[in-house]
Amino acid sequence: MKQMKNLCIIILAMCFSNTYGQKKVVLDSVSHKNLEEVVVTATRNERKLGTLPMPVTLISQKQIKSMGSLRLNDVLGEQTGLFIQNDHGQGVQIQGFSPDYTLILLDGEPLVGRTAGTLELSRLAVGNIKQIEIVKGPSSSLYGSEALAGVVNIITEKPNATNGSLSMRYGTNQTSDLAGSLSFRRDKLGLNLFLNRYQSNGYDFTPDVFGATVSPFQNYTFNPKLSYDFSSTLKFSISARYFTENQENNFLVGKDKVSGNGNVNDWNLNPVLRYAINEKVKATARFYTTQYRTNATLNYQKDAKVYDETFFIQNFQRPEIQIDYALNAKHNFTFGIGKIWESVEATRYDDTKRFETSYGFFQYENTQFYHLNLTIGGRFDAHSAYQSQFSPKFSLAYELSPKITLRGSAGVGFKAPDFRQLYLNFTNSVAGYSVFGTQEIAKGIARLQAENQVSELLFDVNKLGELKAESSLAFNFGGTINLDNSLKININAFRNDVDNLIQTQAIVRKTNGQNVFSYLNLNKAFTQGIESEISKQLSVNNQAFTVSAGYQFLEAKDKEIVEKLERGEVFRRNPETFQTVRVKSSEYEGIFNRSNHSGNFKIFYENSKSNITASLRGIYRSRYGFADFNGNSIADTDDEFVQGFMTWNIAISKTFKEKYRLQTGIDNAFGFTNPERIPNLAGRLIWVSLGVNFEKKKL
Amino acid sequence: MNSFKKIILFTVSVSLFLSCKKDEVTIKEPVKAETVKDLAADPTTISGTGQPVASGKFTFYNFKNGIVPNADSTTNKWDVAFRGTTILTNGGSSGTGQGGAVVLNGIFDEIKEIPASSTFAQDSKTVLAIPTGSGKGWYNYDAPTNIISPIAGKVLLIRTGDGKYAKIEILNYYKGAPAKPDANSVARHYTFRFAYQPDGSLKFN
Repeated sequence: MKQMKNLCIIILAMCFSNTYGQKKVVLDSVSHKNLEEVVVTATRNERKLGTLPMPVTLISQKQIKSMGSLRLNDVLGEQTGLFIQNDHGQGVQIQGFSPDYTLILLDGEPLVGRTAGTLELSRLAVGNIKQIEIVKGPSSSLYGSEALAGVVNIITEKPNATNGSLSMRYGTNQTSDLAGSLSFRRDKLGLNLFLNRYQSNGYDFTPDVFGATVSPFQNYTFNPKLSYDFSSTLKFSISARYFTENQENNFLVGKDKVSGNGNVNDWNLNPVLRYAINEKVKATARFYTTQYRTNATLNYQKDAKVYDETFFIQNFQRPEIQIDYALNAKHNFTFGIGKIWESVEATRYDDTKRFETSYGFFQYENTQFYHLNLTIGGRFDAHSAYQSQFSPKFSLAYELSPKITLRGSAGVGFKAPDFRQLYLNFTNSVAGYSVFGTQEIAKGIARLQAENQVSELLFDVNKLGELKAESSLAFNFGGTINLDNSLKININAFRNDVDNLIQTQAIVRKTNGQNVFSYLNLNKAFTQGIESEISKQLSVNNQAFTVSAGYQFLEAKDKEIVEKLERGEVFRRNPETFQTVRVKSSEYEGIFNRSNHSGNFKIFYENSKSNITASLRGIYRSRYGFADFNGNSIADTDDEFVQGFMTWNIAISKTFKEKYRLQTGIDNAFGFTNPERIPNLAGRLIWVSLGVNFEKKKL
Repeated sequence: MNSFKKIILFTVSVSLFLSCKKDEVTIKEPVKAETVKDLAADPTTISGTGQPVASGKFTFYNFKNGIVPNADSTTNKWDVAFRGTTILTNGGSSGTGQGGAVVLNGIFDEIKEIPASSTFAQDSKTVLAIPTGSGKGWYNYDAPTNIISPIAGKVLLIRTGDGKYAKIEILNYYKGAPAKPDANSVARHYTFRFAYQPDGSLKFN
């Protein structure tokens, strides 16, 4: 019921902004320069957003500032079609795919550190972000593995001017944020430094149980950049990042209190050399290096004995050369080659495990193919541990009229088996089960057999075979309607067919009754849906409003379950009446954690005279499967779902004397919580921040 | 598909007709349908050292007469036997009879007869006709909560030691058949429903 109400609000909002758009509002033409927005992620080249043939979302710095967001997950969680999914970290769900399937780039370079699949987005501060670009649908044709559901590229500020800023923020849960940035530009030299300290006391939904829901933590981000133009054709830049976070851990093991500290570090270094060989040919060489490292020690409180001591170190190095060739205004070619060296060393691995990937990619863009913008690309990845992959992509945009653009794309995406799926060697000392990667399983079972620990073979190890990459075939089709430059409608329909999904499989039963698991390519799934966004800009005198509404319909299903349902092979028994019934196909709402309906409603306000900005954002998602309690492996009874909910965020800022900015806001204004099923959703968060900007006086 | 249905309908009605006719001639025992509650299947007791201990003995069951004394374990007097999550049939490596079983996907009430295509497996030293293990036979095991849940839609077709047929649906594994068993629930107590055809035919009505 409540779900319906929320949905109605969103639909009404969409109608409202729509009818509003049809009224003839006198616009102040000066405030509507409508600068063409430029993105790089979709083609690895700077392109105007409006002309691209694939679905791309752009989030500007201005928008992030107006929202008052601090970390990347705060920003992404408010976007149409995107969800924050909590699974060993907060990641983003795109087009119905788990966070494992979206590549996260920082200035075009991949971030690493997916210990259990999810890359923790709160590692990224947004204080120095120029814009965030989100390409939906597979981009493996340019970026290789992980770019199956989409790519999120965080573009940070470049040192183009001399200025500085400082900001402080404090809020609920003793959460504080301190950020400073300095930028220096003189002729050929540019320097930039961003510093951030973020800390929180966390919160606890279960104060009578030892251990907090979110334990206190503090982290630091240090992000320097240097650029030097040797000439107008030869430019060099180098950027680095260092991030460190400490978090307390407290929990109960049986009746014993266990506590300790966990530390997460990452650093990277990214030198880039750009050379414009002539007007037509540009070459870019990069050598990216990054490391992700965690360690945690947990001790029993009663006797200080060690309960668990773990570490994880991942190294990633990648040289790459990219050549862009603009034959003329019409034809553009991009070629690239690169090599990746990757290694993991961790408590749960035998020794240092290494991967190597050699790859090459190409792309051809024809911007004037009749009335079409055509992009064809592909990438070949040759890998040391699994089958080589070829990922083509074909995209087309058609300008039907100056106001309407249609776009469609078809592409192949893949996600390589990760270190865990190949090399894990882990036995849970408390529960007694074991998990082996596919490269370790034979050895692991032989060892267990020698130790007489095997009670029954459940699955023939030889049938596991070599683990293949998970792959998808995706179609996106949609368009944009721009009316009067102030009403914009974006629609995109998508379909992803995924093959070779990697699942865990019980291989052996041990004498202690627990199982030994490994991985195999098994399932097929699909996700499909439609996403739409409508936004309207209104300007009266000094005041500008942007009203927008977004909606996504999503279906994400396991194909095997769909077939079983059709054959009438899925059942449910009422535990009280013992009545067994067949589950109907229509009762399968999809894979866990997928909402069929979601939407948002946002108002951004700006007054250029009184220097006030404000924003109100409401985010809704319909109910989604939480877990299976009745043994039929799907969510089909009400108690197996998380009920739909809506959260509202508000922020208001005022700038004084062009320098000082005071901002206050409430995240989750109505304090919606669901401690049992959404522990990562804190209650109402009230905050206030003060910022100051320095600008070098113009000479 | 449709014609297939028709054939089945035809066959069923013809056979019903035939059996009706038969019934007129001889008076037979009717199909016995019953729900058994809290059949103890070697429940554990807590030993002096605090460890749960079981006797290791099966509870032997006869669909007609109920629990059979252990002394008759080497006769055809029992049909199925329970110990923990293990269910034996009276045949193969487990007994002297011709017992066997099929684990069928379906709804208990909808199964009006043993499908002609059924191939009854018999217990062997390595694998039982009703396989043990989570998700393999009649139950799922949840390791974190240590709870055994009977899988909905699993019907056990049984051939008894003396060659008769029955169907069983296991409903609960805990004493008192709690809707949501927890750590305090007492395990190894079967609640199940069965239908037993004493005339040796494959039909349950």
